[in-house]
Order: sequence, then C-alpha cells, then structure tokens
Amino acid sequence: MRRRSFLTISGAGLAFAHNNPRRAAFPDCGCAMAPPQPQARGSLAGFDRLQSGLKVTGMKVFGVSLTRNSDRPYVFCKLETNQGLVGWGEGTLEGKAGATMACIEDFRDFIIGADPMQVEHIWQSMYVHSFYRAGPVMGSAISAIDQALWDIRGKAMGVPVYKLFGGPLDPRGVRGYYHADGVRTPEALAKLRETAIGLGVSCFKTGIPAYYEWIETRNKISAAVKSMQVLRESLGPDIDIAVDFHAKTSPSVASILVKEVEPLNLLFIEEPCPPENVQAMAKIARRSTTPIATGERLVALYGCRELIEMGVVDILQPDINHVGGITGLSKVSQMAAVSGISMAPHACEGPIGGLATLHVNSAMPNFVVQEICGQIQPGPTDKIWEEWLGFPAMRMVDGRFPLAQKPGLGFELSEASLAKYPFGGTRPMARVFHEDGSVAEW
Amino acid sequence: MNTEAAIRRSRLRDVFLAQAAVSNSETAHAISEMRWYPVREPVSENRYAVLRVKTRSGLTGWGECAQAPEQDAKALEKEWLGKPATLYAAIDRSAPLAAALDMALLDILGKACGAPVYRVLGGPTRHKVRAFTRSNVAAFSAVEIQAPKPAARNQGKAYENQVQALLKQLPADRDFVLSAHGSLTPGDAASVAQSVETYHPLWFDEPCAASNVEAVRKISGETVTPLGFGRGIADPGAFLALLRDGLVDVVRPDIAQWGITGARSIAIMAEAYYVAIAPNHDGGPIATAAALHLAASVPNFFIQHVPLPDAPEDRAMRAALLSAASTRLETPQDGFLQLPLGPGLGIEVNESALEKYHAA
Repeated sequence: MRRRSFLTISGAGLAFAHNNPRRAAFPDCGCAMAPPQPQARGSLAGFDRLQSGLKVTGMKVFGVSLTRNSDRPYVFCKLETNQGLVGWGEGTLEGKAGATMACIEDFRDFIIGADPMQVEHIWQSMYVHSFYRAGPVMGSAISAIDQALWDIRGKAMGVPVYKLFGGPLDPRGVRGYYHADGVRTPEALAKLRETAIGLGVSCFKTGIPAYYEWIETRNKISAAVKSMQVLRESLGPDIDIAVDFHAKTSPSVASILVKEVEPLNLLFIEEPCPPENVQAMAKIARRSTTPIATGERLVALYGCRELIEMGVVDILQPDINHVGGITGLSKVSQMAAVSGISMAPHACEGPIGGLATLHVNSAMPNFVVQEICGQIQPGPTDKIWEEWLGFPAMRMVDGRFPLAQKPGLGFELSEASLAKYPFGGTRPMARVFHEDGSVAEW
Repeated sequence: MNTEAAIRRSRLRDVFLAQAAVSNSETAHAISEMRWYPVREPVSENRYAVLRVKTRSGLTGWGECAQAPEQDAKALEKEWLGKPATLYAAIDRSAPLAAALDMALLDILGKACGAPVYRVLGGPTRHKVRAFTRSNVAAFSAVEIQAPKPAARNQGKAYENQVQALLKQLPADRDFVLSAHGSLTPGDAASVAQSVETYHPLWFDEPCAASNVEAVRKISGETVTPLGFGRGIADPGAFLALLRDGLVDVVRPDIAQWGITGARSIAIMAEAYYVAIAPNHDGGPIATAAALHLAASVPNFFIQHVPLPDAPEDRAMRAALLSAASTRLETPQDGFLQLPLGPGLGIEVNESALEKYHAA
C-alpha cells in the first residue's frame, strides 16, 4: 500500500452534506490548497453498517433573556431525531449571544442527518473543518451542539450521561460552592457560616473589591489583603474559601496579593491575571504556595495544553459552555488527571450547562468542587429554573449537587416554558474604566 | 439553622432522596463473580491472562492483560465484588490487572446500553482500523522490521549498512515500522534514524529506552524519521515529558497495561500535541478487540499492532479463544481490521478453550 492512500480526502466532511440543496459545489477560490470536489459518499460509506439508526432531523436555537437587558441571554440548542428523542445543550456566551446563535446555525450542515451517537466524530468535524480553529464564539457553539448530542446519546442508551463516563464516583452527588458576593462584614460572614453549616455547604467563593491598575498603591493592596483575611477570620478554618481575582489584577499586583494571603490557606485564587499569557501566570504561580486556578475562558484541550505542561496551575476551571461541551470538558479533565492537576469547572450561565457539567464531574478522579453562580439563599433565577425543569436545578443538598437519575442529561424542558423569556438581543457585558478614564479589567 | 432553610432543605431531600432510592435499588449490575484465566500459546509460549466478570443481572464482561500473580487477582476480586460493574472510572489505574478490569467493565457497560464500546465512548471515529504485524503478511498495511542486533556497539556506517540491507529486501511500496526495542546506543540510533530517512519508515520504534530522555532528544534532534515510544511506559508523566518537548511522533501505550480508558487518556494528551497513538499489543485476541474499540473512539489513532504468531498451533489457539462469529477479528482486509458490531466488546469468548490453554 502506498502511504499516499492513507489520506482519503473528503471535502464534504460528513456523508450527508451533499444531500443538502443549500450547499453549493466547492467554490473555486484559485487556492492551490483547496481540496478536490467532495465525493458524494467517499470514504464515509463505510460508516453505514455501524450506524445506530438514530439521525438528527432538526435543530433549533433559542436565545432566552431572563430580563430585558440581560448581558447573558441563555443560548440553548435543541436537536430532534428521527426516533422522537430530543437533546438540549447550552452555549451561553456573555455579551455575544447573537454571534453564538449564528455560529450554531453555521453548523447546521454538520448536524442534520448525522448519527448523534458519533459525538466525537461530529465534534472533530466541527472543529477541524472550521479551519480557523475555535475561539470563544465557536467553542460555545460547539459546546451547545455537543451537550445536546450527549443528551440524546444517554437517552438512546437508557442511562444518565455520567454512567457512560463510568461514574458516579460519589453517588451522593458533586460537591459545590455558592458565591458569597457582597458578604463583607464579619457579622454578615458569621451569619453565612451558620447557614452554611446548617445546610452542609462546605465552600464559598468571592471576589476582591475594586479595580486594579498595572501597579497598585499601598492602600489598595492592604484593602485587598484585608478583604481576604476577614473571610478566613469570620468563616472559620473548616470552610473552604476560594477567591476570584477575575483577571482584574496585573501579574505584578497579583503576585504580591497571592503571596500575602498564603497564611489564609485559601482553596485557590482564580484568574490572578488575564488568560492569554501563560508565562505571566507562571510568574505569579511559582512565587507562592497559594493554589492557582484558571481556565473558564479557554477553548478545547488545545487552550489548556500550555497551562498543563508548564505546571502553572493547580486547578483547571473550564466551562462546559465554552470549552467544547461534555466532550471538551471530559478531555481536559482526563489530560489534567494524568498530569496531576485538579478540576473545579466554571458555571455561570444557564441551567443546562450546569446540569451537564455535573455528569462529567461525577466521573473525574481529580475533581475538587463545582461552581454555581447562585447564592446560598435561592434567588429569582433559581425560581425560573425550577419553573422550567420541575426541580431545583443546581441547588445543593448537604453541600452536593444531586445527580440526575433519568437518562441523558436527566431533565425535560418545553419550548413553551422558554417562550415567557423572549430573546432581548445581544447586550454588552459591563464596561469599567479607571479613575483616569482608561479601560479597566473587571 | 433558620426555619426557612430547614424547610427548603427538607423539600430538597424529598425530591432527591426519592430519586436516589430508585438508583440504589438499581444494583442489578453489581459484580457477582470474577474469574481469572492465565493462558499460554503452545509454541511461542507467549503468556497473557483473561478476566471474566459476571453481574447479578446476568451480564458477562471480558478483559485481558499480562499475567499476574494469583494473589493480585484475588485482591481485585475482594475490592470489586458487589460493586456496580458500570463504574469503570473508579478503577485504580496503577493496580495490576487494571487493564483487564477496564475492558471487562466497558464490555458490561456496552452490553447494558446495547451498544458497542466505541459507541458508548462517542465513536465510531473511523469505520475500519489500519493494522500491522511482525510477519510480512500482505493483508496487513505494514510490517514491523526488527532492527538487527549490532555486531558491536557504535558501529556507525557498518551498522547503517546492515539495516539498509534489510530494508532493501522489502518491496519499494511496502510500509514498515523499524523496531529496535530500546536496544541501540544513542549514537547508533541517531545515525540509523538518519540513514533510513529516504526509505520513509512509518516510524522508528524505540531506538533507545524512552526513560533516557536526553538520548531521545539527541536522536530526535538529528533526524526527521518519526520516532515511536510507549512500550513499558507505566507513568503518564513520561508520555507528557516526551510530548511536551516534541520528542515523540507516535505514542504507543500498551493496551494490556492501560486498558481502553487509560490508553484513551494518553491519546487525549497526545491529541493536544497533534500526535497519534499506535497502541502496543503483545497479548491475545481479547485485547485486540479492546484495541479496535479504542481506535474507533479516539480521533488521533494511526495503526494497530496485531501480535499474530507464526506457528499454526498458536494461531489455532487465538482462533479457539473466540467463538466462530469473532474469528475474523484479527484478519485484515486490504490492510484494515473491521470493527465489531455487537454490544460491548462485540466478541464471544470460548470458555472451554480458556481451560484447554490454561497455564498457571
């Protein structure tokens, strides 16, 4: 056999694409690298005997704004199949709802007609055949479709998705934390501690006050350190405390803070600087014993590689709605696991991504804790989620998110229930400026 | 605790404990029996061992790994009897027999889901599996050529000529893997790797021991011949080190050491470096089936080694271990093996043959 024949080029990507009348013949761009005309079936005919019999027949994309001006309308994707099974996924991307919804639509040709059981193959095709690789918009679109495919896969095989991953490692559920935003005074924190102990909640996360310039003044540094000290003093030694710098600190400022708070034994400090420069984060991490967590803005395994290989982070926090869905999160967690790195996935969007992430977590040997952007007392958002799903989604019992028992992702959702919250359009996230008017990270 | 919180907590409990009760009653797939069959091929004397796991629900799962002491099998049984057979994520990957248990549990999970293992894991990512073996059998895509033992150390040109003489016997379009089993000095390995560049080996396998990272770096720095490593590597960190420094082109976790899940983790790591896996396999046909499912559940698979023995007696044993329906498992067509279609691993193991070839 000649080595050249190892490569069977099929421009169409997936077998069914040629059936789509909207798909024009491959345009002649004059580029010497353009692949030849897609073969009608090409090498993909070989999959015929391996098909599950399920086919995706429909795809719907929903923008769901809980409030008129929400900067994070939920982006949901619903896939329908020839056998009546449906799957739901989420690709909410704050400030970029319209772009994400359009990007999901761009993948329609990849999905309609596909065997939903072949999720890895479909994922690869979406990622690789998009040529430019994925940033956050495409990552979120792939995430939405991927989650919906896994929902269908679980339903088709009659098991909750975590069983397909070999879980649950803990049948009681997945340990989580609530946010403690705005709880700053010793009195309020003491009350939070009391409630937490009553409810079995063992971990909180909060931010640091103010916005930070490239280099900071003694007052701002002291105030930031003090804000973390009061957390430990008031919450006590037995509650895990995570602090999110939200990348609003420069590496220079973060390095000082991260080192100063070493005696507080924080669970981790999150995003001590922006994510593009791994060397910068490495500089912060190597001069402190405080565990460093990051990853919510990263897409796919590729986005996390450098952090893992450089030993910069202790904890990775990919978001199932951006990293590439269940497939993406699972892969990052497996690479992290064999590299000795722990997982504390991010979740700050809608309930579908939140519930999906629990399935993957429950089979991670290197799992630490799961985020939810809710507070210890349920708020209006929690009420809406319960109204949609019929159970208090992403609320903990004894400090853990309970696991679904139903097949797939384990919930049912009606389009009608979403209709009460129509898409209010894309809205920007907060825009914050320093005292001198320059742009601030938040 | 305030009253409101107490009420909410009890409401949540009602909802979720009711569900949990349902799930706890689902102990149907609890492991009820584990049995361990060490076997040996009569002529090659190659040994491996087969693990059979049964569940209360009546499902049977099969796995394979290298032979291990009986007491390890007993320890595994003690740990796993009564546990859900679907819990493959809970396997301690460093335990002896972990690979066999992984295959057996995935076999059971697939059967419980009515799906081949590759479908449980998100595949198939391909519909046939490229294969090579040591004998020059035309049906295989490629042949593994053993690099000759050098007459002396650091022979330079003389050794290069010896290797090239071997390669010249191959038809020009016959693909091959040049395999040195970690036996060459860094100098010989680097010069041979360079001298065979124009023959385009698929890759040069284990020119030196992978544990000697600086020797690997020297060889990799002096040649564009792709290098393969993985036999005997038991620590994922060793793979990461090779990948991080760009020292490996073909990653070769041993299917009988890592199981499907462990090898898949290594494949995932390699994927981030645009590197493919070509799993090592020196065992029996059950591990071949596992390797096929692995190949069809990862995107970055290149080729599977099949340890086809030369002696007809040994081949007869491999055929006998599987039921008639599975006998073509290790027989490629046009260079490729076919994926099994049935649920789980998609094979039926012939238990009387396990008794016949038993070798403690």
